[in-house]
Amino acid sequence: MPKNITIFTTNTCAYCVMVKRWLGAKGFTYEEVNLDEFPERQQEAMQVSGQMAVPVTVITKHDDSQEVVVGYNLAKLAPAVA
Amino acid sequence: MVKQMTKDTTPTHDVIMIGAGPASLSAAIYTTREDVDTLIFEKGAIGGLAAITDWIDNYPGFAKGVAGLELADSLWQQAERFGAKIELGEVTEIINEGKFKRLKTTSGDYLAKAVLIATGSDYKKLGIPGEKEYYGRGVHYCATCDGAFYRDKHLVVVGGGNSAVQEAIFLTRFTKGIDLLVRGDKFRASEVLQHELAKNKDKITVHMNTTTDEISGVLPTGKPPTGGKVTKVIGTNKLTGKKVEFPTDGVFIFVGLSPNTEFVKGSDIELDKVGLIKTGQLLETSMPGVFAAGDVRSGATMQIASATGEGATAALIIRKYLEGHA
Repeated sequence: MPKNITIFTTNTCAYCVMVKRWLGAKGFTYEEVNLDEFPERQQEAMQVSGQMAVPVTVITKHDDSQEVVVGYNLAKLAPAVA
Repeated sequence: MVKQMTKDTTPTHDVIMIGAGPASLSAAIYTTREDVDTLIFEKGAIGGLAAITDWIDNYPGFAKGVAGLELADSLWQQAERFGAKIELGEVTEIINEGKFKRLKTTSGDYLAKAVLIATGSDYKKLGIPGEKEYYGRGVHYCATCDGAFYRDKHLVVVGGGNSAVQEAIFLTRFTKGIDLLVRGDKFRASEVLQHELAKNKDKITVHMNTTTDEISGVLPTGKPPTGGKVTKVIGTNKLTGKKVEFPTDGVFIFVGLSPNTEFVKGSDIELDKVGLIKTGQLLETSMPGVFAAGDVRSGATMQIASATGEGATAALIIRKYLEGHA
């Protein structure tokens, strides 16, 4: 179980819904940063992912190392939260 | 819902539907209401392309139109209300074992008495230099996902069909200006959308007869790659033959659809020359007990209303098939 999960989303992003649903179904809690509501945090999402795209899921482990998954990509998301 | 087990303990269902777009979700509403044990596999977004479409104006029953995500969510909830179960995973192969079809999936093997393929289509790539290199860093295929990164910036949108025009109009809420590049000499988009486009001429500049040849910018560096941005799109004016440059912060590409049928290639399921699944009058493919509906079916009209209708039709046909193959 990771220490913390943050998801950067937008209001109209269907893949963001999928990431939230998948994490919820697996019993993970997460913090959501909606970039439509907090556009000032866009730069943060871009810096951490290197991309201009959502969803961006930032998984912080107990040793404070981070893994970043861009998009709805279960092949990357599942091992990252394991 | 209780999974049935065969002797080899492989999870077994009456019907497995592949893809959770409007066709499958509609079919599942019908099958589950009749107590047909139904499982749906989805590898991407539930709702399919409809879910990532900003606004849908031509789906009957919504006088003022409906957001794609909202329509997808309603279909999803309605299917689940009657007991449809959605497995988030990918089907990689269908094997005909007679009474049962074996589905190889990322969650292991499954068996089904009947299968509905409704995997729809995805947006095509242009296949031009820069498209792959700048993907997610200025090149996008989902306006509703990534449009918010372009507040007060300039964009190029490529395409002349319904999706390109609809999404260009959607993107005007963020951008200060859009160059819309259309390869042909006329739009394929509906008249209604073309009228909407005309209302946005202060923000959208249309360039007909213009090919999109290259996307150029500053490449990302480091590992993992960071930075990188698109600075321009290079095209050709087909009438003059001259190269044209469009300075931009990003490119959204909507140049048609490519069917999601890779996983059936090499099987007994016959495809047409563009890779869509051939069916008979009863929506059955060339593999008995395997049906297809929606955008993935050869001859489909690529409309959400048609997909939901075909889904309902397929469900009734499958019910009859199951009665005859109990």
